[in-house]
Amino acid sequence: MKKRLMLVLSLVLIVAMLAACGSNNGNNAGGNNTQGAGGNTGADAGAGEPVTIRIFQFKVEIAEAFSRLIKEYEAEHPNVKIEVETVGGGADYGAALKAKFASGDEPDIFNNGGFQELNTWMEHLEDLSDQPWVADAIELSKEPMTKDGKIYGMPVNLEGYGFLYNKDLFAQAGITELPKTLSELDAAAKKLQDAGITPFSNGYGEWWVLGNHNFNVAIAQQDDPNAFVQSLNDGTGKIQGNEGFNKWVNLLDTTLKYGNNNPLTTDYNTQVTLFASGQAAMMQQGNWTQVQIDGINPDLNIGVLPMPIDDDAEKNDKLYVGVPNNWVVYNKSEVKEEAKAFLNWMVSSEVGKRFIVEEFKFIPAFKSIEVKDEEVLGDIANDIIKYSQEGKVLSWNWFKYPEGVVQEIGSTMQAYISGKQTKEQMFESFDKSWENLRQK
Amino acid sequence: MKKSTLSKDWIQQIVFTGPVTVAFAIIVILPFVMGMYYSFTDWNGVSGTANFIGFSNFTTVWNDEGFRDSFAFTARFTVVAVVLTNLVGFLLALLLTQPLKSRNALRTMFFLPNVIGGLLLGFIWQFIFVRGFAAIGQVTNWSFFNLPWLGDATTGFWGVIIVSVWHGAGYLMIIYIAALINVPKDLNEAAAIDGATAFQRLRHITVPLIMPAVTISLFLALSWSFKTFDVILSLTKGGPYNSTQSVALNIYYEAFQNNRMGLGTAKAFIFFLIVATLTSLQVWFTKKREVQA
Repeated sequence: MKKRLMLVLSLVLIVAMLAACGSNNGNNAGGNNTQGAGGNTGADAGAGEPVTIRIFQFKVEIAEAFSRLIKEYEAEHPNVKIEVETVGGGADYGAALKAKFASGDEPDIFNNGGFQELNTWMEHLEDLSDQPWVADAIELSKEPMTKDGKIYGMPVNLEGYGFLYNKDLFAQAGITELPKTLSELDAAAKKLQDAGITPFSNGYGEWWVLGNHNFNVAIAQQDDPNAFVQSLNDGTGKIQGNEGFNKWVNLLDTTLKYGNNNPLTTDYNTQVTLFASGQAAMMQQGNWTQVQIDGINPDLNIGVLPMPIDDDAEKNDKLYVGVPNNWVVYNKSEVKEEAKAFLNWMVSSEVGKRFIVEEFKFIPAFKSIEVKDEEVLGDIANDIIKYSQEGKVLSWNWFKYPEGVVQEIGSTMQAYISGKQTKEQMFESFDKSWENLRQK
Repeated sequence: MKKSTLSKDWIQQIVFTGPVTVAFAIIVILPFVMGMYYSFTDWNGVSGTANFIGFSNFTTVWNDEGFRDSFAFTARFTVVAVVLTNLVGFLLALLLTQPLKSRNALRTMFFLPNVIGGLLLGFIWQFIFVRGFAAIGQVTNWSFFNLPWLGDATTGFWGVIIVSVWHGAGYLMIIYIAALINVPKDLNEAAAIDGATAFQRLRHITVPLIMPAVTISLFLALSWSFKTFDVILSLTKGGPYNSTQSVALNIYYEAFQNNRMGLGTAKAFIFFLIVATLTSLQVWFTKKREVQA
């Protein structure tokens, strides 16, 4: 009797479970259907069927301000509802995005780094060449998402990096002339060290500080960086024996010679803290550190120095400026028109423009967005804007390498820094990374 | 009559094992078979098309130095971690089956790391290694704490070992405690009366009698260490210079960072064959040594 009762009970349970699954599916399907209907009819912004745009984005720093921007948009467009999800950090974003696509939960708007990443995601991306903001975007910022004359993404912002330096510590060490060449940099670092100040805060525990930014110096200093990367990508070019790379190692050695202890266990946070608290006079970083520096020491006087690889002052006096990420629209999205409208609003409406500069603290990638108040963006961005306006910029190239190469480069450079590899072995490893990861 | 009992058996089997079988099939077997299929394609994880390319992924894996290095690391790591985790777990169990006052509290404390996820543990220990150890080093000037923890290959390796052992030992301790409690007291007492020393009793009575626990503990530690991923991801991310990259991490990077899902699944398939062979061998081997009281 008892047995039979158990049996009946279990059966009931199973049926209940199955029913639950079934009804769930039903709900989902229902949800999708209403969304589809909304997409079909609500092409024009304004009144109409309610639609939901789902955004999956990467910039953790702006997550909070971004949700406020969205509230503004929703207030102006009562029929549009926007859901944002933020996942930060290199490979994690890509993995999460792939999981979303694999499970059929594709976001309508997401981020893409451009170049190789554009190739990978190409078939899912909507052609945005006809969008009104295209004419307004700064020429340089369109390059990453351009393929065969079409534009597939909207630049999020511009960022720049170089050696950030602490003006007060420089004055304290008696450095009057800012170093523009490698020997001058070496001399300045020596002065700082003699004054008892650690010249460089090296965050070489982070692969991207090395693999993305530091390595890029050698590439960007080539006569034609694009052609050089292309030759590496199709196997005709080599890093071994390249003059620019030989010089670049001298710069890396200089930072190591005058750097903090244990650079390989110094992560991003530690690096920024060392610099912001005045324990080190320089660090290789960009304007994205401004918010964090302000949090530690808002009164710090900062400037940006170039990263020289030899003694040609004119050639070296440049900063590295590029587009860190782009907004893209999923081409099979049912609300892609609304998604495009939102992106356009973000860079063309007064509210959107104000948010980009004042709330996100971005260096805008659009000509019509002005930085009205110098104070808003901070010292670092102002220096970068100044260099950009004078045309003294070099390109960002790491999005052009085969996927996975930057991480390998980072590891290889760590091996060099720890003394595990010589300069020649490091160059050989670079070439090998390209060999292994080249798109076949 | 016979027929009805047969069908009754069947219903019972379906009721009790059916749901689990269905769940297992959907969550484990299906992805496994799909993964096997993808290992023969050039799928990049994003695209809608996956071209069949035969065994070319497997030849690529064969020539992949990074994969071989990660295998060497995993092998070294597994040997050290399995031995240490079991040793620490067993010693803790021996200690905590003695009549101690704080016994239960201590058991809970040593088990606690196992309740916390590996990712979290990795982040906590990264802080301890990088900041904590450095701070202690500054105060005491002991060279042990002044090593560049996680900053070179050796400290990276031992850092991962320390955290893994700390993570796994508590769980094995519980298994060993359960086994130790079940060792009949009369055997030990008889041996003691016959003049056997404590070590002799441990060696010749206790250890043979807890061999089933050793089997399961070795098996668990072996498969944990082989598949270790989360602790390394949060502790060192496989660095510095890929020196602590386990096979699981290598596969993850291949599939999701290099965007070569096909190659990643091929690696995973090879890895599965090796782990399955090794763990079966180990179970077969230790099973032979189990004895009855």
